[in-house]
Amino acid sequence: MTTGGWLFMLLSWGLILSLTAYCVRRVLRAPYKDL
Amino acid sequence: MREKWTSRIGIVLAVAGSAVGLGNFLRFPSQAAQNGGGAFMIPYFISFLLLGIPLMWIEWAIGRYGGLFGHGTAPLIFNRLWRHRIAKYFGAIGVFGPLAIFIYYLYIESWLLGYCVYSLTGTLGGLSTKEEMLGFLQRYQGIGSRDLFARSYLFFLAAFALNFLVIYRGVRGGIERLCKIALPLLFLFALVIVVRVFTLGAPDPARPDWSVWNGLGFLWNPDLGALLDAKVWLAAAGQILFTLSVGIGVIITYASYLSKGDDIVLSGLTASSLNEFAEVILGGSIVIPLAFAFFGSAGAREAAHSGSFNISFVTMPLIFARMGWGTLFSFLWFLLLFLAGLTSSISLIEPTVAFLGDELSVSRKRAVKIVAAATFILCQFPIFFIARGVVDDIDFWAGSFFLVVFAAAECVLFIWIFGIQRAWDELHHGSEMRVPRFYKPVIRYVTPTFLLLILGFWFFQQAIPTFLMRGVPPENVPYILATRLGLLLIFIGIALLVRKAYHGSVWGKR
Repeated sequence: MTTGGWLFMLLSWGLILSLTAYCVRRVLRAPYKDL
Repeated sequence: MREKWTSRIGIVLAVAGSAVGLGNFLRFPSQAAQNGGGAFMIPYFISFLLLGIPLMWIEWAIGRYGGLFGHGTAPLIFNRLWRHRIAKYFGAIGVFGPLAIFIYYLYIESWLLGYCVYSLTGTLGGLSTKEEMLGFLQRYQGIGSRDLFARSYLFFLAAFALNFLVIYRGVRGGIERLCKIALPLLFLFALVIVVRVFTLGAPDPARPDWSVWNGLGFLWNPDLGALLDAKVWLAAAGQILFTLSVGIGVIITYASYLSKGDDIVLSGLTASSLNEFAEVILGGSIVIPLAFAFFGSAGAREAAHSGSFNISFVTMPLIFARMGWGTLFSFLWFLLLFLAGLTSSISLIEPTVAFLGDELSVSRKRAVKIVAAATFILCQFPIFFIARGVVDDIDFWAGSFFLVVFAAAECVLFIWIFGIQRAWDELHHGSEMRVPRFYKPVIRYVTPTFLLLILGFWFFQQAIPTFLMRGVPPENVPYILATRLGLLLIFIGIALLVRKAYHGSVWGKR
């Protein structure tokens, strides 16, 4: 894999992992409310 | 009294379950590899931000808004957004589309169930060439020989029964309970397979360059020249539309089971990000790297261009047959795809059941029985005429063309007719996070323009040739015409029911 390939892969993974971790943490941290 | 979700994680997983489907693991890697590799991710992320996330929020907001008035499907919700007689018929697409997709999707889902069993019994592991694997798939589909067809039909019956059992048990006891179990399992199985893929290295010592890492390079090495190609941008936008399950109508139905004060901004974003995790990180790390490691660059290229069916049912079983612990990994692969399919197919059938219940006052159990009987008959067409191109034709109209039409309609109705300020307030009601302010002009102008461009491009590039049946073998033409007539009759039937529901509603009685 070229440097560009690694860059695109790690950047994409980083963006998605950060967004997912942020959202899931906030959802799980929010009080469990009875919808 | 309409049902409600029992927990927020329940609806987030249900919407994520609807979005995470076969496309995440099969369509995405092949699209990325064909359209510029890593460079594909630039239009992909731009489409995610400008098209996917806004549409996701719009559908959640429309659904929750409709649910407050007892509507769980688009027809009478659209009528509330736009007091025009035509509005409810645009909304009818939100019942027709998922129903039509369900008709063939369920059949393909049942293959996955069958292949789970054939993985465990070692049948797939005993097939060593591409020709043998393709022949087995065709026998399974009843093309040519019908010796496996009875067994494949039994798997269809099992998948059909499972889907309707879940739907019969309702939103809380069926859909939510299933998604809370199936989604974590699906992620776990995919992670196990990804770890195995990353520890494979180069499986053939004689070909050290056929490695998983070079396979990842095949998918991710950027071809920046592709960014100048309009088709790449269209492919990325199309992938975002398909993968997030927006533009079908299912999120509207799921969100209608929320209450007024329930957050939708954070929940919608969480469901979207879970889908992206499944697609880009998990989906992108299995098929293409494995195809490259076992069949080299030419094999990976062939896999990327061979279409989702071939990747799933031919290429992947061949790879697992050559891997250590192949039986187990083949089973996990088909089970994860089956779970992804199941959580998507139940979301496809829920709008029709909700429509009968909410708008025609049919009890849920009776509605499920009616829909089960109708879809059982309709499912026979793709089962018996798959070799005639029936599935591809339904997929184009219901799964591509009307999806974009419906997405454009809901966007225009909610933002331009209902009004951007009311839409913005509706979105933020009960919200646990603010949508960044720059999204207001994006939702108002960029998302609808983006959608109308896609619609226009598709209309001329794909819809006209498909409508004129260019490239369809002459012997298949009668079957394609019959399929279209059938789809038209289903739409007319739904439109008549919408009319009946409208005249029975407070609006119709005015």
